[in-house]
Amino acid sequence: MLRVNNISKKFGQIEVLHDISLTVEKKSIFGLAGPSGSGKSTFLRCIQKLESVDSGTIEYGGKAGFMFQDFQLFPHMTVLENVIYAPKLHDKTKDHTIRAFSILEDLGIVDKTKVYPNTLSGGQKQRVALARSLMMQPQLLLCDEPTSGLDVATTLDVVSLLESIRQRDVTMVIASHDLDFLTKVSDHIVILKGGEIISQVNPKTLKNPINYLKHYY
Amino acid sequence: MEELISHLLFIGRGIVLTLQLLSGGLLLGLVLGTILSILRYNGIAVGILNRIISICRGTPLILQLSFVYFAIPGFIGTKLDVSTAGIITFGLNSSAYIAEILRAGIESLPKGQFEAAKTLHIPSFHLWKDIILPQVIQHVLPAMINESIALLKETALIATIGGMDLMRKAQILGAEQFTYFMPLCIAGGYYYALVLFIETVGKKIETRGYYVKS
Repeated sequence: MLRVNNISKKFGQIEVLHDISLTVEKKSIFGLAGPSGSGKSTFLRCIQKLESVDSGTIEYGGKAGFMFQDFQLFPHMTVLENVIYAPKLHDKTKDHTIRAFSILEDLGIVDKTKVYPNTLSGGQKQRVALARSLMMQPQLLLCDEPTSGLDVATTLDVVSLLESIRQRDVTMVIASHDLDFLTKVSDHIVILKGGEIISQVNPKTLKNPINYLKHYY
Repeated sequence: MEELISHLLFIGRGIVLTLQLLSGGLLLGLVLGTILSILRYNGIAVGILNRIISICRGTPLILQLSFVYFAIPGFIGTKLDVSTAGIITFGLNSSAYIAEILRAGIESLPKGQFEAAKTLHIPSFHLWKDIILPQVIQHVLPAMINESIALLKETALIATIGGMDLMRKAQILGAEQFTYFMPLCIAGGYYYALVLFIETVGKKIETRGYYVKS
């Protein structure tokens, strides 16, 4: 579970996040919607400590994993090397290959272990990035625009992929401007605008959640 | 013909020192240049490092060589032999250029590579060794080959402190024969052969690149 208490963040004079508080229940998928520049990515980056907060606190148990919008795979390493490099550094006594193969198999890319990232499609790269995060056994997974640049079919795959990750007891926070995707995947959605939470909604309780969300754009 | 062979052999003996200076200078330059660029990237002693790099690039190499050979022994109390002084000078000078080449390479990488490593809790040493530098080297290889070729030709300055390299040997032969043209052409041939070797090795490494650039 994740608890965010009154965090604020400024870049120079511009306040990107203003007094944001929220709680994300364990094993839930939490959506962050909002127009470009509303602070979604900064919020995720603050949780991951890629950015420091000016005030407020962020608490969660265990480790957090981060999925970058542009995946940020290591281009000079094969898929398998990308996935097992960090776990191998942290625990040299274990053979991480078997676990890596099992995760890559679950994600449907076990046949790509020996190739370099530049030969993969966007969807495949995303799965590798996901596998790389999952190898670190995170309790919290932060995804920044996971469907950007993906076609409709691949986006639907991502929905089922994230559902399957939830089964691994992972809590997820997803920032996306794709309202269709967010309403399909999230248990709860908050809408950020100008660095503030302007509305919260459980998309499953609404008849037409997309229209409801669009209202705030 | 016999005369030409004897000239080739006489000048060719100078290649040992030339190669010592090139390999030693390049190795020292690479190590120091890498350390300099990593320190600067991490914001450590940036002002001082920038000044050192600026002086190394901004003063004549012949002055630097004289300083290391004639002045440094006064500070440390022991005389440096010619090749050691040469390797130190060429290494220091080269490190300044290499640091700048690497800086460009590091800055060309997406910031996300550093961040991805951070989210995976990869320690700093491994970040540089396994993630950043392998990618940077791939990107800056052509500039590094350039630097190696420039360094090779700069080693000829060792003659000014009495080093018996290719160029000095050619000058000695020229003085003996009262004609400089042929000996200098022979030395030029040796240098060009070495440059061709560097180019070939460089191309091999470039095309063998462990990943195809996207």
